Amino acid sequence: MELTWEIIILQIIMGLALGAIYVILASGLSIIFGLLDVLNFAHGTFYMLGAYAVFVAISLCGNFWIAMVSAIVIVALLGGLFEITLLKRLYGTEPIYPLLLCFGFSIFMPDVIKLIFGLVGKVVEYPKIFQGAAFVGTLILPKYRIFLVVLMGVVLLALWLFMNKTDIGMIIRAATRDRLMVSCLGINVSRVWTVGFMLGVGLAALAGVIAAPMVQTIPNMGDEMTVESFVVVVIGGLGSLGGAVLGGLLLGQVVSFVSFLYPDWSNVAIFMAMAVILVVRPRGLFGEEGRA
Amino acid sequence: MHKSNGSNKSMINRQGDWRTRFEFRAMIVAFIFAPFLPFIISKPLATEIIVYGLFALGFNLLLGHTGIISFGHAAYLGVGAYSAAMIVFYGEVGVWLALLAATIGGLLVAIMIGILAIKRKGAYFAMISLAIGQMFFFLTLSPLTRWTGGEDGLKLPPLSIDFPLYVNLSNQLHLYFFILTIGCLATLAQWRILNSPFGHVLRAIRENEDRIRACGYNVSRVKFLSLIFSGLFSGLAGGLLVVYLGAASINLLFWMTSGVIVMKTVLGGTHTFFGPVIGAGVFLFLRSTISEYTDRWELWLGALFMVLILLFREGIWGSLLNLIEKRFYHSKL
Repeated sequence: MELTWEIIILQIIMGLALGAIYVILASGLSIIFGLLDVLNFAHGTFYMLGAYAVFVAISLCGNFWIAMVSAIVIVALLGGLFEITLLKRLYGTEPIYPLLLCFGFSIFMPDVIKLIFGLVGKVVEYPKIFQGAAFVGTLILPKYRIFLVVLMGVVLLALWLFMNKTDIGMIIRAATRDRLMVSCLGINVSRVWTVGFMLGVGLAALAGVIAAPMVQTIPNMGDEMTVESFVVVVIGGLGSLGGAVLGGLLLGQVVSFVSFLYPDWSNVAIFMAMAVILVVRPRGLFGEEGRA
Repeated sequence: MHKSNGSNKSMINRQGDWRTRFEFRAMIVAFIFAPFLPFIISKPLATEIIVYGLFALGFNLLLGHTGIISFGHAAYLGVGAYSAAMIVFYGEVGVWLALLAATIGGLLVAIMIGILAIKRKGAYFAMISLAIGQMFFFLTLSPLTRWTGGEDGLKLPPLSIDFPLYVNLSNQLHLYFFILTIGCLATLAQWRILNSPFGHVLRAIRENEDRIRACGYNVSRVKFLSLIFSGLFSGLAGGLLVVYLGAASINLLFWMTSGVIVMKTVLGGTHTFFGPVIGAGVFLFLRSTISEYTDRWELWLGALFMVLILLFREGIWGSLLNLIEKRFYHSKL
């Protein structure tokens, strides 16, 4: 197919929108790992839960925005429950056990969803004002994709403000650095961890919510996303928000262009990109030395 | 010099020595009883237990003995299987060469993952190995469809062996004994590896990597070797799987294969030698029984696995060893 500049711009926007989902998903993963030292193997599962939660909420109230907020809150609360009742018991054991618990959860949960909602995918409509596309000259600009890019900017700004300008954000950053010192200052670190886990899971849910209209909402939609969010943080450097952003945007472009030019290779390309980055810069683009 | 070595070993490894001896006897007992297995449970199930037991042993070389979390073992098994299937399908060679090709396939994947990730720490290695595993899955599925058969996999004609004696591998019982023979030999080989000085270094790395580095060992190189052995055994298991199934299927490369082998190994007990085989056996037996009653096998699997991780981390064989040790060994002291 011929590559005109209109098509190139369209592919860039598609890639940015996809990248926005990766960025939001991976920043949640990165926060959880930075704070709790837990690799959340169930991250894609919470992404899937976000998509299903927004489907339920929309069919209950009809408004996309209310549904979006309530879906994030519900999944974050579920994540908090998971952390308090199950994950917390495994802190202090070998680091592989929290990882394996999350893995078990990621096997368990999609089947629960299958039991409740059936195997057939659910359809989440685009919100009304973002349906269709805007035309600028010969350019086609899909409104929802552009909304995603803006939303990513807003979320990242809010996250930055939260982490850098609020007390709880400061405590989270401090606990990421040195949890013992923070607890010596009289702060209940275990509660901070719960908040951090809920924040990370909430971001995964948000990614699921905004992806829901674009992809098919099926019980196993999260499995692939877990792997892809891993690729993002490996490229960007685990535990670094900047890395998650850059890695996510990069990956979005790779997927967008490769699936347009060489559809056969679309699924393989992201892993090849990861392998190349690992050879050139083993700790990831923004990874801290020694932590990886 | 030799004497001091010996006494050191007995001081450090007193508990380990008891376990080693007990597990060796258990292994011999298992070898003696294994020929009767296909008459107790179905022949395909018995064969599957041997193949996946070998795969789990190879996997546990990393997880249990070296302390490396690999989530990409589907790649070793799958690439091994496809190497064997493709060399039979296109090269029309015999079973022995196919198994050799499978082992080499596993080796090549191990070298590739090792180069990319062996220096990364726990969580990173898990992520990278998982991603590379998925890469092989998608490579086989779509760009290489013309050679791998894509979603349909590769179906092989009936296999048989002429050397050193004639074995008709279409006969389920003969097939079982062929696979059992190779499985036992591979198990002995792995036993030898893990009880060599090299094996002790592996476990030392698991316990305290920094200290072993300070002792002057090249930790990355030892880990790389461990990865390579793991790849060899897993690749061989993949080849045996092709001989057993008569086909290579894309499911072998799916990430769920990596996840399931983790589950089997943890179920049996990671810090033991023979646990993974027992885990694989119990797991496959449970699956064949539970899936008769319910379609939602993964729901039970996930829930059981979470309970296992929360309450029963030593696994079946590990807990049994602990129990026997407490009852019979410590009472004598």
